[in-house]
Parts: sequence; C-alpha cells; structure tokens
Amino acid sequence: MTFRSAALPTRVCENCRSMLVRTDDGVGIAGEQAALPFDVSPIQIGTRGQFAGRGFEVIGRVRWSWTDGSWNEWLCLFEGDRHGWLAEAMGQFMMTFERDLAGMASDELNRIARGSPAIPGRRAMVDGQEMTIADAREVSCIAAEGELPFVAPPGWTIYSVDLRAPDGRLATLQREGDQAWFYDGRYVTLADLKATGLRAIEGWAMPQYG
Amino acid sequence: MAEAPAAAALSCPNCGGTITLRAAGHSVTVACEYCASILDVSQPQVRLITRYREKTARLAIPLGARGTLDGIEWEMVGWMARSDSGYPWQEFLLFNPYHGYRWLIEQRSGWSLGEQLTLTPTGGSRGLVVDGEEYRPFFANGTARVDDVVGEFYWRVRRGDVVRTDDWVRSGAMLSREADDREVSWSRSRWLPRGTVEQAFGVAGHGRPWPPLPHQPSPAYPFLKRAMVIAAVAIAALILGAIMNAGGRTLWQGYADIAADGREQQITVGPIELTRPRQRVRVVAEVPALSNGWVDLAYTLVDRSNQASFTASKAAERYSGRDSDGAWSEGSRGASADFAALPAGSYDLIVDYKGNKWVDPSRAGGGSSFWNSAPDDDGQPDWRRDSTAPRVEIAVISRTGTGFGVFFVMLLLVLAPLGVALLIHAQFEHARRAESDFAPTSDED
Repeated sequence: MTFRSAALPTRVCENCRSMLVRTDDGVGIAGEQAALPFDVSPIQIGTRGQFAGRGFEVIGRVRWSWTDGSWNEWLCLFEGDRHGWLAEAMGQFMMTFERDLAGMASDELNRIARGSPAIPGRRAMVDGQEMTIADAREVSCIAAEGELPFVAPPGWTIYSVDLRAPDGRLATLQREGDQAWFYDGRYVTLADLKATGLRAIEGWAMPQYG
Repeated sequence: MAEAPAAAALSCPNCGGTITLRAAGHSVTVACEYCASILDVSQPQVRLITRYREKTARLAIPLGARGTLDGIEWEMVGWMARSDSGYPWQEFLLFNPYHGYRWLIEQRSGWSLGEQLTLTPTGGSRGLVVDGEEYRPFFANGTARVDDVVGEFYWRVRRGDVVRTDDWVRSGAMLSREADDREVSWSRSRWLPRGTVEQAFGVAGHGRPWPPLPHQPSPAYPFLKRAMVIAAVAIAALILGAIMNAGGRTLWQGYADIAADGREQQITVGPIELTRPRQRVRVVAEVPALSNGWVDLAYTLVDRSNQASFTASKAAERYSGRDSDGAWSEGSRGASADFAALPAGSYDLIVDYKGNKWVDPSRAGGGSSFWNSAPDDDGQPDWRRDSTAPRVEIAVISRTGTGFGVFFVMLLLVLAPLGVALLIHAQFEHARRAESDFAPTSDED
C-alpha cells in the first residue's frame, strides 16, 4: 500500500475497501468503506489536468448525497503537494481550494461557522466580493475511494453551504460541530482543465483535450 | 483499460418495465416510459413517488435517440411538457457524460438549444448583460408549469411543479430566469435555424413558427443589412454617373451676328464629328441682347458622307414690360433643340435664323409721325439696333448620359427589393414583439 501524497493521511484500499489511516505509529484501519454506486462520471483516479497553469492528478474521491441527489468530490493532487477538490454535480465541474476561514474577514461566514443557519438568498462579503448563499443543507458521505485528507466514513454527515458570485466564482462552507472549513473556487469545464486520462465510457467518443 | 458501461438498468416498481438509466450518478427522478409513474432513483433502492397507469406521450425525439449539434453528440434522456397560462412548449433534456446537459426547447415548431449558466447576468443600460451581449426584457412574471414528464432528470420533478419565470431576448438568443422558493437559476438558449434539429435527430420537419419566437432573428435582417450597403453604393454610383453625364461634351461652340433689319440669315459650321452610332445631340442657343422680340432658329445637320440631313427648330423669345400689376417678363433668351439619335459621321450644321421685333399692338402706329424716316419705326426700342452687335451664341453638345427617366428607373430597381425586405422585416418584428410583456421600443438594432 503506497500513499501518493505525504500530506494525506487516509487511503481506501481498492481490494478490501478498508480505510487505512497513517499515524506516527504506522498505518491503522479506521473502518470499512461502502461500495461506490455506479455512475457515468468521466473522471477517474489517475485523470490528469491543469488548473491555473499547474498540473494535477486525481487521487481520491468522496461521493456525497443530500435529500435531492448526490455528487462527486474528486481530490486533485497538484505539483508541490498542494491539493484541490474538483466537484462534479449536475454535469458541471467546479475546482475549489481550502482556505483559512479566519482570513476571509466575513461576518456572515463567521456567524454560519459558529452555528447560525445559512439562509439561501442572503448575501455575504467574501474577500470584498459580494456572494449569494445559493444553498444550505445537510450532506452525507455515501462512499469514498483513493487517498483523502480526512477519514470519510459512510454516513458521515456535515452541514454544507454553497455560495455563488455573478462572475462564476463559488465557495462552500462546511460545518461539523464547532469546526468549519472553507473552500473557494470557480466553475470549470474539462476543456478548461485540458483533462487527459478520462474514463472511457462505452458508446461515447472521448474528447481529446491534450 | 476496459470501458465503463454507459447505462444502468432498473425495473419500475409500479409496472415492472425495464428502465435504462442513462445518466447514472446524476439522475434523481425517473418518469417511467411505460406507465409514467414518477420514481426516486437518488438512492440505490428505487422508490415510487407517484403512481400513474398511463400510456406515455409519443415523443418527437424518443428516449435514447442521439444527435450531433455543434460537433458534440447528445442523447435524449428526459422530456417535459410545460406551459404558461395555456401557452405550451416542450423541453428535451440532452446528456453527454463528458459535456453534461443541454436542453432542446420546442415551441410552435421552432427549436432552441439551452444551457444552464454558471454566471449571473449583470445589469446593462437597457437590460441584462452576459458575455458582453445585452438582452432586452421580453416576458415578466410568468409561471412555467410541468404538465407531463418522461425519462430521467437530475432534480426532483413532478407534474404540476411551478416556477416563476422572466425572459430577456436578443436576436438569436434568450436569457431565462427560473425561480422557486429555494433557488434561482439562469439559462441561455440559442435559436436553432430551421432544419438543424430535424437533421440532427431525424425529426419530421414542421412549418415555420408564427408568430415568431421571441428571440428568432428576422429572416429579412441579413438580407437588409447587405442590401443597405449595396444600395448605398449603387445610388452613389448612379448619382455620380448622372452628375458626370449631365453636362455632356461640347462639340462646337461659336456665334452668329444678327442683322438689325431682321432679314433671314444662314451660317454653316463644321465639321462636327459624331463617333457613336446613336448619338443624342443638343444645340443650345443664347441671345444675350434679346428683349421684346424673338429669334427663329432652324438647325439642319447634314452628314458630309451621304448628305443625309436631320432638322430641328426652336425659337428664343423674351418679352417684358410694365402694366397695372407692375413689371413683367416672360420667355427666355435661350433655347435648346434636341436630336434624338444621330448616326456616327462627320456633320455640317446649317443654322437658319432671323431676329424679330415684337410690336406692342396697343402702341402700334400711335407713335408714328411725319418726321419718322423709317416706315417701320414705331418709336419703340429695338433690341437689334440698340445693342452693340447682337448675336446668337450657339453650342453643339453631345449627350452621352442616360436621361433622368432612366436614372429614376434604376433608382427604383435598387430600392424596390430593399422596400420589400423592410416590409417583411417590419411585419416580422411587429408579430415577434406583439407577445412581449413590454411595450415595443422605438429603436432597432
């Protein structure tokens, strides 16, 4: 069992679906992953691409669900051991990077991070840009694969808030208990990412973005 | 690496029919293509939401049909019949695993291709701006209702769902806002020229949409744009040609003295060379000294080679005086005579002319007295004697240009198709705007 990224502690074994966690003492088993339901995503572990001039490779995935559907979050390992998330929902792609919530200086976001409910339609200033709360809901992990920065057991539920700006920028605030994480990014297309190593899907011509 | 399968199969918990799931992982709702029941496929265990036992509608594009638009292949995965206050349209959801979703929208046999926007339009001076293009408001406060549904969708859908809609248009594209209590979504649809969808999906062709769709480009507009430029160039050329040909070329110019006694006179001038086979010629005469009199002018052009002759005549007459209404004058000191079509050749021009004095009948004889030496001297001024060397100035001009009649016929020929196109355009735009919730604007782009 190899870990691709020195910074990522978790890996799902593709043979037994055990969740392996790296600690100072070695590798331990944190539980069992569920099987991923079938989907027709064009992304797979090993897909490569470029974003903002830097190459990345997809090394992990978490599949989330909410009451009205489910979506994929693909973990992208960038050159220099940085990572981002390529979200795939409703046939659209979004690339986001985790940022320190304290640095956002956003009263609205801080209130939500401390436990206030997010109200869709409300505005929040983020980095001096006005963003709109598009959605707020409980989401649960269905399954995961590959390497991950955290243990994502099936059924793990968090509160997730999506924000949108008119120019295509988007952000997500996730909250679990008194902890909160903030992800900032924008809409992309596979063509924008110059994606290669896409998953071959029977009966469909694979686009060449090399 | 082995290809992943493109579809999953599930069986309808209501009718047991085998349903093909073509966008597995995305789809949330399936309307069974056999019994129309609404199923929830968001979880591994398929759940029945609403039971129907109906034969589903026969679709213009069947589920699973594929077609290529702009070089990308799409598969039809879902269909909705929608309406707003009795105005129906239908929407076909298209899917490609690499390119996501698009919408084919059909209304009054006109088709559009729509996609969800990932950015929000911004306010412009007269509407909304997306990607630097401005859209004008067209429909406001609509309600779009789902009347019927077949196939799979990436959100929860059921018959009777209602969203509030607003639409903005520009020629060839429409911007739509759909909102419910939970979220707002923006989409942009592009008008597809007639035959596009018919060709891509093998759909039977229909008539033209009438009234036109809100974002349908006027069929006369591309022609109008080109015709305006062509007409402007043609008219400029016509005017320039008319100006250049208006004067004509002077073939001969000179003068003949007019005798004071008013006898018949003749001069012969030449040669006058005509090189074109059917030459229009004008002889212009001017008698600067003419006053209360006239000059008879008879022209004969004689071809030196065969003595063929052509004649024309014209008098210059000019009168003036004073009566109870004040000073008056009539006639002109100039006269021009035209030869319509002269054969090419070398010509002599013979001018027969005679200067005449007009005798005022009211004063005739009244002024005569015994010391008058000249019997015809009635005491009134005689232009032939009073001016120094009275003469007729003559110019022979070749007229190569087309007449004004021809000019106007050509102008009409240039402008007529433009006028017809303008009428078609105006009628189209009027019908197109008649449906709008906003008063038609006076300006046009």
